[in-house]
Amino acid sequence: MSVSDLLWRYPSALMAWRNLGRNRLRTGLAALGIVIGVVAIASIGMAGAAIQQQATSNLGDLASEVTVRAGEDSETDGLTDDQIEEIRDIAGDDATVVPQKSNSTEITSRNGEQGLIRVTALTEASLMYNVTAGQSPDRLQSGALIGEDVADQLGLELGDPVSYEGQLYRIIGFIGAEGGGFGSFSPRELVLPTSALSDQQYYDSATIVAEDGDAAEAIANDLEAEFNQESRGEEQEVLSVQNFANVQEQINSFLGTLNLALIGIGSISLLVASVAILNVMLMSTIERRGEIGVLRAVGVRRYEVLRMILTEAAFLGVVGGLAGAVIALGIGMLLYEVLIGAPLQVFGWASSQYLVWGFVFAVVASLLSGVYPAWKAANDPPVESLRG
Amino acid sequence: MSVIELEDVVKRYPSGEGFVEALKEVDFHANKGEMVTVIGPSGSGKSTMLNIIGLLDTPTAGTVRHEGRDVSEFSEDELTEERRSGIGFVFQEFHLLPMLSATENVELPSMWDTSVDRHDRAVDLLERVGLGDRLDHTPDRLSGGQKQRVAIARALINEPDIVLADEPTGNLDQDTGRTILEELTRLKDEENVAIVAVTHDDQMLDYADRVVRIVDGVIGDAEVPA
Repeated sequence: MSVSDLLWRYPSALMAWRNLGRNRLRTGLAALGIVIGVVAIASIGMAGAAIQQQATSNLGDLASEVTVRAGEDSETDGLTDDQIEEIRDIAGDDATVVPQKSNSTEITSRNGEQGLIRVTALTEASLMYNVTAGQSPDRLQSGALIGEDVADQLGLELGDPVSYEGQLYRIIGFIGAEGGGFGSFSPRELVLPTSALSDQQYYDSATIVAEDGDAAEAIANDLEAEFNQESRGEEQEVLSVQNFANVQEQINSFLGTLNLALIGIGSISLLVASVAILNVMLMSTIERRGEIGVLRAVGVRRYEVLRMILTEAAFLGVVGGLAGAVIALGIGMLLYEVLIGAPLQVFGWASSQYLVWGFVFAVVASLLSGVYPAWKAANDPPVESLRG
Repeated sequence: MSVIELEDVVKRYPSGEGFVEALKEVDFHANKGEMVTVIGPSGSGKSTMLNIIGLLDTPTAGTVRHEGRDVSEFSEDELTEERRSGIGFVFQEFHLLPMLSATENVELPSMWDTSVDRHDRAVDLLERVGLGDRLDHTPDRLSGGQKQRVAIARALINEPDIVLADEPTGNLDQDTGRTILEELTRLKDEENVAIVAVTHDDQMLDYADRVVRIVDGVIGDAEVPA
């Protein structure tokens, strides 16, 4: 069954289909313009979606965390036990508060190599670190974790001892890089039980791990309201509260704007394509002036001629748009494979919406381009057009 | 009753500073089953008259009646409807659409009218003009005479009461022209339609029931062929 058989019930569509088939090269070139436009718009849109997704997954855990330190107006040089308790109350049962003490030290490996390294003392090790080898204790009571890059550099292996303040700790696990994106390194860090830094009176920071970004933001706001009240007309910063949900929002908003600007540039190509369609439709209606005169003479109504030519333009848009969407889908899968490593995620609405938009814009742009030629052809007096 | 009737029809075209009067108070009529041939030198106004009879053009003054109804004040859309239902056209250049088969070309005037299916009538008409074996041929695979037969079948598809022919034999050789005229005459009787033909072709006079001569926009004495 051919396309013509399907269209027989729709005379405007049948005539439009046959007309397009008369000059296949011209039709093909006009549709190619649309294909390029749709590919430009859709693949830029999908690239943006892929980058945004990658940024989100890199920030990942950070967004649901709140980091608290002593603020400028704090009376103490760190967070007190009382403050930690108060923070725990505000954070609630669904969030875990991880108080941390930190310092730095020079460590020496067995082969005599030395390196400066950050020392962090905390209990909830498994929550805070991505341990890639060895044990990842929920509660770190003895032993030490160390960044895998620095361990490699110093020739340290699991089970080796490291010393801090005269005390020996056995390495029980290696810490890998956070997230999975490009350019992330494992921290240059030695993680010890809280007892190791017990001579420090205050905590340097506390990390609150919430359920998700929204919960983290709510906790951050509650902390600000509780601790940093205004006093004598001045804002007091007893606690410095840092929340990355905000940062992620800003990155997303920036990427969104950038993406929109790029799509704007991409749509110029669709604009060019629709001018090409306008030209092709105008040329072909001028060439067919006599034929259209015959149609009008034998009793085809003006709006039927209009519909026929608009249908031709729409066909160009639909065929070009579909081809463009298929090619853009291929490009999108490639992008997702390279950036995220999951080509099938391209079908998610965040990226596949650009295929839909590209297609819709293609059809609308083609239809708009067909309006003037169609109107001109339909309103040509038959006596005039019959003269050719 | 006359199928078509012109009464005191005047047609003026703007030209330079003034006007050219293509038709000067022309009276004309044609009856069912009658072939009227209009002759006259080029520029005499015969094409203008044919356009007005075919409701493709409107007169500057005067009255046009189609089947007794005054259509002088009809809108373009009403005239289109009138042409679709009551008038068939045969052109010198055939004017078949190249991307449609013979049958589809014949069906063309009724194609947008989904209330009727004229396919069987189209096939019947093509068989009657001797093209039963060319139904699916596109115009580029038909000879001149065959194309004009398709055009005649197309003119008759909507069962009109009048067929207008503008130089129907103008692009055909003498013999082919003669067979086309025989075909037209036969179908005129079978379908009981009026045929108004404009021509330079002398042999057309042999088939005319009535000949009208027009010179400088004025209808002259009618001659009845021998």
